[in-house]
Amino acid sequence: MSTRRPRIRRHFGLRLSTWAVLAFLHFPILIVALYAFTTEDAAFSFPPPGLTLEWFGVAWSNGAVRDALYLSLRVATTATAIALVLGTMAAAAVWRRPFFGREAVSLFIVLPIALPGIITGISLRSAIALGNIPFSFWTIVIGHATFCVAIAYNNVVARMRRTSPSLLEASADLGANGWQTFRHVLLPQIRPALIAGGMLAFALSFDEIIVTTFTAGNQQTLPIWMFSSLVRPRQRPMTNVVALLIVALTFIPILLATRMTRNTEGS
Amino acid sequence: MMAAACGDDDAGPGGPLTEIGDGEGAVSIIAWAGYIERGDTDPSFDWVTQFEADTGCMVTVKTAATSDEMVALMQGSNDFDLVTASGDASLRLIAGGTVQEVNTDLIESWGDVDPRLQEAPWHFVDGAHYGVPYQWGSNVLMYNTEVFGDTPPTSWNVVFEEVTLPDGASNAGRVEAYDGPIYIADAALYLMHHQPELGITDPYALNRAQFKAALDLMRQQRELVFRYWHDAFVQMDDFTTEGVVASSSWPFQVNILAAGGAPISSVIPVEGATGWADTTMMHANAPHPNCAYMWMEWSLNPQVQGDLAAWFGSVPANLSACTGNALLGDTGCATNGEGNFDQIHFWKTPQADCFGLGGECVPYHEWVTQSVAVIGGR
Amino acid sequence: MVIESTNVGRIGRISGALHRRPGLRLLLLLGLPALWLVGVYGGSLLALLWQSFFSLDEFSGNVNRDLTLETWGDLFTDSNISIAIRTLSMATAVTIGAAVIAFPIAYYTVRYAGPRLRAAFFVLILIPLWSSYLVRVYAWKLILAREGILFWFVDTLGLNFLLDAALSAPGIGGPSLSASALGQFFVFTYIWLPYMILPVYTALERVPRSYLEASADLGARPAQTFRTVIWPLAIPGIAAGSIFTFSLTLGDYIIPTIIGDSSPFIGLAIYSYQGVAGNLPLAAAFSFVPIVIMVIYLILARRAGAFDAL
Repeated sequence: MSTRRPRIRRHFGLRLSTWAVLAFLHFPILIVALYAFTTEDAAFSFPPPGLTLEWFGVAWSNGAVRDALYLSLRVATTATAIALVLGTMAAAAVWRRPFFGREAVSLFIVLPIALPGIITGISLRSAIALGNIPFSFWTIVIGHATFCVAIAYNNVVARMRRTSPSLLEASADLGANGWQTFRHVLLPQIRPALIAGGMLAFALSFDEIIVTTFTAGNQQTLPIWMFSSLVRPRQRPMTNVVALLIVALTFIPILLATRMTRNTEGS
Repeated sequence: MMAAACGDDDAGPGGPLTEIGDGEGAVSIIAWAGYIERGDTDPSFDWVTQFEADTGCMVTVKTAATSDEMVALMQGSNDFDLVTASGDASLRLIAGGTVQEVNTDLIESWGDVDPRLQEAPWHFVDGAHYGVPYQWGSNVLMYNTEVFGDTPPTSWNVVFEEVTLPDGASNAGRVEAYDGPIYIADAALYLMHHQPELGITDPYALNRAQFKAALDLMRQQRELVFRYWHDAFVQMDDFTTEGVVASSSWPFQVNILAAGGAPISSVIPVEGATGWADTTMMHANAPHPNCAYMWMEWSLNPQVQGDLAAWFGSVPANLSACTGNALLGDTGCATNGEGNFDQIHFWKTPQADCFGLGGECVPYHEWVTQSVAVIGGR
Repeated sequence: MVIESTNVGRIGRISGALHRRPGLRLLLLLGLPALWLVGVYGGSLLALLWQSFFSLDEFSGNVNRDLTLETWGDLFTDSNISIAIRTLSMATAVTIGAAVIAFPIAYYTVRYAGPRLRAAFFVLILIPLWSSYLVRVYAWKLILAREGILFWFVDTLGLNFLLDAALSAPGIGGPSLSASALGQFFVFTYIWLPYMILPVYTALERVPRSYLEASADLGARPAQTFRTVIWPLAIPGIAAGSIFTFSLTLGDYIIPTIIGDSSPFIGLAIYSYQGVAGNLPLAAAFSFVPIVIMVIYLILARRAGAFDAL
């Protein structure tokens, strides 16, 4: 180990840039919080001329927000569940034995997140139109699950690669069949990855707007509601209130999930 | 996209309704933001709750940000019954067979519709009505009164040409233009006045040479604009926090900003202005036709018309709304430009056949690609 | 270990059979995801490609379904090429910007932060992902406005000359930060930053401490260790993050309408050809520009090991 002083100096620069990046990430959220209390209702100016709690009441009593929030939660939950199942299956398939076309499979799974959302949206939309399928809750879910599968798969496959095959061999030697091995050996191993992947997939689905624009008919998810409210008179601070509430609501689950995934990683 | 638009050119299956039956319990409408309010935003602006109570038709609204989005939504789905289409969308919807003929005999208040709108060319085609007029308004020149002081602008030149404004500075970087292909018509309208030798008679029917001249004017304007405004809020912010001082706009933004104490006013310049007239049109395969007819009748109710005009800064299609409406006040219609009707060139979808006037005109999809090119600096 | 005795016979037989036939097992495992991704997603992409060979009826704006190459001919105009170049430059700049900003924070967190601090950082990086993207973009508009927060700060600090110099730079400047390419670059970088930080963090986390110790034991100085051990191992993470930042910038059409001088980007052009003009064939043809770019990019990123770090 080197002497102490240079390390502190080296730390200092790194630490400063780290906190600067965190400030950069959170400054706009502070602004959102500030304008959730502004007394202006249409155009904003800086600094806000006055502060009020009125918008919280307005948002709370707004039925459209509640419906949109409920729809977003349903879509994100369904899409995440589908993605975790499909992603885990795909990961299990490509994980151990190489087979012809394995590379192509992994490339194809990544495609929906590697291609811009507008491409996913527009292509699904044209397929839906060609197939004469009516737009519904399920068309939104299909759009979201498509890019969520990639997220789930990536997390799970990375974790599987770090799982020692000898564990599975030991399980087989002890007489467990494939299903038991999966349930009692592999599943506990990949649980943190499932939680992390599920969380990320849920977050992306919950805040997704571009794909949704193309695959939703008459339904309003929360981001779509935001979009239409931002161009609407006298409702603008409400969007900040809603955004703030979502941060507050999701803070606890993120914290819990982080702890769960980190604790099992080992340092 | 076009699965729904494969119908023939007249109304849906079997022509328009001949009588209104029982309501289906629901009606689904594509509308501009702020067009169909149910009191969510401001409890005194609510013209949905009463309708739902009277008819049992539950209203769902999908807001669209542009005419083109409305067309795409209507063509791409059979979920919707009605759309509040502007003139730059309505002819496309009719030509594509996306909307059906409306039987005006079933609409009791049809006689109350402003006679100037009853047979307007953007919804009345080949002797058939394809919708019920809803509201109209003019695009105005919004300007900052502190900058212009005692000499308000009288011409669109403040947004098309580089000029020195009354505060002594150039207008470059301080004006805006509307971000939509239909804005090419504003350039054509300006040329109609300032370059008569081009022979423009209708800013929506442009031959190649006229179209090119309009694009050249827009390229010149490109150097001046701060931004092309797309949503009303971004524009309001640009006027309050970005130092933008003049732009084509809607009475809506002017009313909100002025009510909030901002130094903002508006004018219809000497060249006249473009404007929009919106019509409630019915999808060719509307799932709830009876409720749709009930809504069209309801949309002409003087109370609805007046409240909406007050909310949106537009002019009612039913002029009896102009008197005795508490929210609009008795001067509201005048404020929103009811007297400008004759100076306005209403939005129409540009068509290759020049609306049957003969000659060859540049069709709308070229307006789109060319306006994208101009805004991209090409 | 608890064994469900009721099902064990049947499941045991099935899984035994599957164990003896790996091909069948593979088929069962991969069948459903493949059906979804190849069938639904791949099918949709093919449907899109198919539509690019339709053309648009001049008058009604309806799509004419006779196959033609006309639309592809309309694609390669001056204007569309300049849109593609503008978008590519922005995507490249944003990717580099995000990588430069993401690396120190990921490095610091992995190397020097204790487990509690690490968890805290992780949460702080994730939170922006959860708070509405739209609302944050609008917040940036307020921050960057001519009479907004940033100008107010700069003015208070008396650094106006710096900002004016930046704004008068040709190509990236403009009348205000919120109407300039520079402002756009800030917002894009900000919005996609977490997508870069997470994979870089993951990649660095996998660098075993023993490597660093070995490097030090062999007499390498910290800078050397960084260059020869840490950096090469971080590259896959950066490559993985860059897939996101690059692709998201390539397709986004919301930020360019709110921030910047309205110059169209690929996403915006596709959106307006499809939604605005109802010209789906042209939108479909234009969609293949980012698809081709991204496929090439993916192949390059895979060489850099991005797929192991996603």
